Amino acid sequence: MSLENDATESLPAKPEQTVDGDWNRVHPASPFVRGWVALAAVGFFFGRDAFERMLQGRDFMDPNLSGRVPWLLAGGAVVLLLTVGGFILSWYFTRYQVAEGYVRVNTGFLFKQQRQARLDRVQAIDIVQPLLARIFGLAELKFEVADAGESAVRLAYLPLDQAKQLRATILARAAGVVRGPETMEEVPEAPEHVVLSVPPSRLIGSLLLSEQTIGILLGAAVVVTTSVLFDNNAIFLALIPGILGIAASYWSSFNKGYNFTAAISPDGIRLRYGLLDTQAQTLPPGRIQALMVAQPPIWRIFGWYRIHVNVAGYGLAASTEGARTMLLPVGLKPDVLRMMSLVLPDPGVEDPERVFTAGLDGLGPAGTDSAMSDGFTTTPRRARLLAPLGWRRNGFLATKTALLIRSGRWWHTLVMVPHQRTQSMALHQGPWARRFGVADLVLHTTAGPVSPRVFQAGVEQAVQLFDQQAARAREARKRQTSEQWLAQVAPQAPEVAATQPAQPDQPTQPESDMQPRTSPQQEDRHDG
Amino acid sequence: MHTEAIDPSGVQWLRVSPKYVTVRLVEWAIGNVLMLVVLSLPLIFVLLGWWRWPPLWLAITVPAVTLVLALWRLVLIPRQVRSIGYAERDDDLLIRRGIFFQRTMVVPYGRMQYVDVAVGPVERSLGLCTLKLHTASAGTNAHLPGLPSAEGARLREQLSARGEARLAGL
Repeated sequence: MSLENDATESLPAKPEQTVDGDWNRVHPASPFVRGWVALAAVGFFFGRDAFERMLQGRDFMDPNLSGRVPWLLAGGAVVLLLTVGGFILSWYFTRYQVAEGYVRVNTGFLFKQQRQARLDRVQAIDIVQPLLARIFGLAELKFEVADAGESAVRLAYLPLDQAKQLRATILARAAGVVRGPETMEEVPEAPEHVVLSVPPSRLIGSLLLSEQTIGILLGAAVVVTTSVLFDNNAIFLALIPGILGIAASYWSSFNKGYNFTAAISPDGIRLRYGLLDTQAQTLPPGRIQALMVAQPPIWRIFGWYRIHVNVAGYGLAASTEGARTMLLPVGLKPDVLRMMSLVLPDPGVEDPERVFTAGLDGLGPAGTDSAMSDGFTTTPRRARLLAPLGWRRNGFLATKTALLIRSGRWWHTLVMVPHQRTQSMALHQGPWARRFGVADLVLHTTAGPVSPRVFQAGVEQAVQLFDQQAARAREARKRQTSEQWLAQVAPQAPEVAATQPAQPDQPTQPESDMQPRTSPQQEDRHDG
Repeated sequence: MHTEAIDPSGVQWLRVSPKYVTVRLVEWAIGNVLMLVVLSLPLIFVLLGWWRWPPLWLAITVPAVTLVLALWRLVLIPRQVRSIGYAERDDDLLIRRGIFFQRTMVVPYGRMQYVDVAVGPVERSLGLCTLKLHTASAGTNAHLPGLPSAEGARLREQLSARGEARLAGL
């Protein structure tokens, strides 16, 4: 205890910074930024009529209503006051604290809610800036834990610098870099190294050549044909809402995917994207449960791929949104390989590039029964009637650290599941599969866009894989002992410290801060 | 209990209670009798001359086909119940089910988040219970119906204890 106090006191105390362990409030403007729609609605409701009258050159007020004008105004004022008052109260009663390995948020004044989440259970941290918040320099911090529902902790809104600072603090605590006492020192943001970015031209191209576009073109062809056949032009008018909807969906994809940048830092993978609303995601190492590389047929001309991931905190709601579970909206093969190497630093094979390439584009041999040419075990030849297109493509390969599953002759997909992330597994076999002597192996991971399934593997290989995979997952789980990702790879921690930029006004952190400490944490000093 | 091709070798399957057939029969009766009654209404109305529309052949075919399918499912129930099996291994629990569409599932103890024991009215009268395992994945649809209550309780305690011993993060 005393040793830790010495360590903390040796650091120069910095004035006017958010003292860790204190209860803090979000930025006072945040309810207005969040609730501007409500304010605008009130204004619109009461202002529209008067505005229209002024445009038409009539009286400001409806003469029939003139006797009631004061009442109307008073009503409007009361509604406005109530809304603003509610905003202020909700702001006043929302407080948060990061201390003792927990982040706590208290909200509500009539129905109080106190919520705390363990820092080392963090699955992902996002900093989101909707357009209006961005104008005011504010940001929302989302703290995700594995409950597959909504964000565990949402702090809306903080000044951007403070949000970043808080993110760095949380991640450092969760990683086990900063341990022990509730130190006051500012945790420097982990240095990051930009890995790749997606140029806007490629993003536009990928949107124009997506599956959505094919569907729209097909739909348009049908519409044109019918209108020509039936000589009816009214059908085009009926399409206008549809066209608006399509334009909106393209716009939202573009808005979300614009300026996509991926970076790596000791805190994990950082993703930034967005044109008007920007978002910065941080995925700590080992939090990605499954990964899928997909390539629609037209994208093959340009060699583009996209990557989706399952992250426990994002859950199912995010997969419909699409953007948050997207690890790469569009990229070339080198980009894909780089991202995969970030997700799985140790691929567990000799030549990962060849193996991943085989997984992305490879095709099994047409000849001999279940020969292993590129390492992937494909559907046996006897089942080629069951999967006439895919039988040479469907395949799996288990490396030392992950299971790779490829499928799809036209829609190329490659799914990767790290062994220690497998939750449970099931072998499925229907009557037809039994007739051809094949079986499907389904791996269960957390909710998300990726659902790993080995299609139509030969029964003997499938059962073998089932057994081996259970054993491999068990072994991998035994190796992974700590939730604190830097603490479990102890030799790397000083390296991280070395890469951190030296703060000019602050001496480099004492070496002892980087070493795991086992002493109990300081008792509630700041509670109250 | 004989093993199927997709079952891992060398596993001694434990079967669920044969009394579970009764539970399934009751479920079958409730579902299918209601459905048959509803689907037979047009036939009755047509025969009584109240309705014109569904031609007689259609009014006969629909309930007849439903009846045949229901009877088919009824015949399968005992075999389906016999096909449900489970085996406790050192590190995981195996569950299998199905005759046409077979499924063999492995749930590692360390992955279990919680274990449920549920008892319905029919099961309670027969002294049975249903055990449900939950992992972090929604895809793990692992439930073991028709366990004798004592066995269910034993399994629940056993699984919880083993899960705690081998607990892993996500």
